[in-house]
Amino acid sequence: MDKIKLFAGIIVFGSIWGFAECIIGPTLDDAGLPSGALMTGFFAIGLMMMSRMLFKQRGMQLGMGLVAGTLRMFNPFGGCVVCSGIAIMSEAIIFELIWYGMSLDLRELKTHTMKISMGIVSSYCCFVGGYIITQILTPLISSAGFHLNNLIAFMPQILSRGLVVALIGGATIPLILILKNIDISSVKGRVYYPTTAAISIICWVAVIANTLLFMSA
Amino acid sequence: MIMGKEKFIPIIALMILLIGTGSSAYVYATQTDTEILGDSIIINDQQYEVEEIFSTTEERTFELLNFTGIALDDLIIKIGIECPSCHSYTIIGEGDYQKTVTWKNMENGLLTADKMTVFSDLPKAFRVRGVFEIEVI
Repeated sequence: MDKIKLFAGIIVFGSIWGFAECIIGPTLDDAGLPSGALMTGFFAIGLMMMSRMLFKQRGMQLGMGLVAGTLRMFNPFGGCVVCSGIAIMSEAIIFELIWYGMSLDLRELKTHTMKISMGIVSSYCCFVGGYIITQILTPLISSAGFHLNNLIAFMPQILSRGLVVALIGGATIPLILILKNIDISSVKGRVYYPTTAAISIICWVAVIANTLLFMSA
Repeated sequence: MIMGKEKFIPIIALMILLIGTGSSAYVYATQTDTEILGDSIIINDQQYEVEEIFSTTEERTFELLNFTGIALDDLIIKIGIECPSCHSYTIIGEGDYQKTVTWKNMENGLLTADKMTVFSDLPKAFRVRGVFEIEVI
């Protein structure tokens, strides 16, 4: 895989993920939908899985998490912007750790049981891990400080909320794997680079414009 | 090796579903317990009616955040906690979501009529909804 092509892939997938976290997430939340569960189970896991499947590269999802987390920090909405950004990055790290032992051609995922199982394991671990990290980091950067008993008491809720995410993830990964035969390396540079650049720019401009609108309101 | 993963990963997935289901059952069971308290709050092991504390405590407004309620520091003083600045306060709400704050934070905090805490000097993660207990530590 051409390094520049891979880099462009990291930027575009990370930008879409960041855009989803900043714009689609709050919209789902306003509509009364479980935005956290949908963001992790569908968008985060779906995009990381798609990039893993198309580019067949380890470390790419970590790069995507860094891009998405950085984009999240440009957005003023949500509880703790810095912590949300770090939570996104942690989801990417957890995904990388889970998928490290899997082959790059995903030959283990032949059966539906394996596809669904990996969806459940990945989405649950990413959501619960990201949530715990946020619960630790948010108080740490505030004047109140972190208290372990606060986290322990809330653990049943975190583990419980992860169930919906696991079920969504269990459906997302088999759906993404339908696209397994797409060969990204066959896409010509004159189409690939302008397309990835345009999508990335649209995502960043939308988030920054949204931030500026919020600040001027 | 692949055969190993084919057995191991579904078992882990099944365990995760069991953990999620078990936690949901636990959360559901404990939520029912807290509902018994109704429209009252336990502060330092004493039960107070929300109406009662709202009629006796100083009002506080955060105009920028668009929240109005009663001042948490005044609430603690009014119920007679000695040396309020010597303590920390754990605010416990729906689903056992809880946050421990300092007296300084309490001086910048309010409790809304729908029993949510808001602190002007702390992130949104410290907005505890459905507060049913304030522990004085």
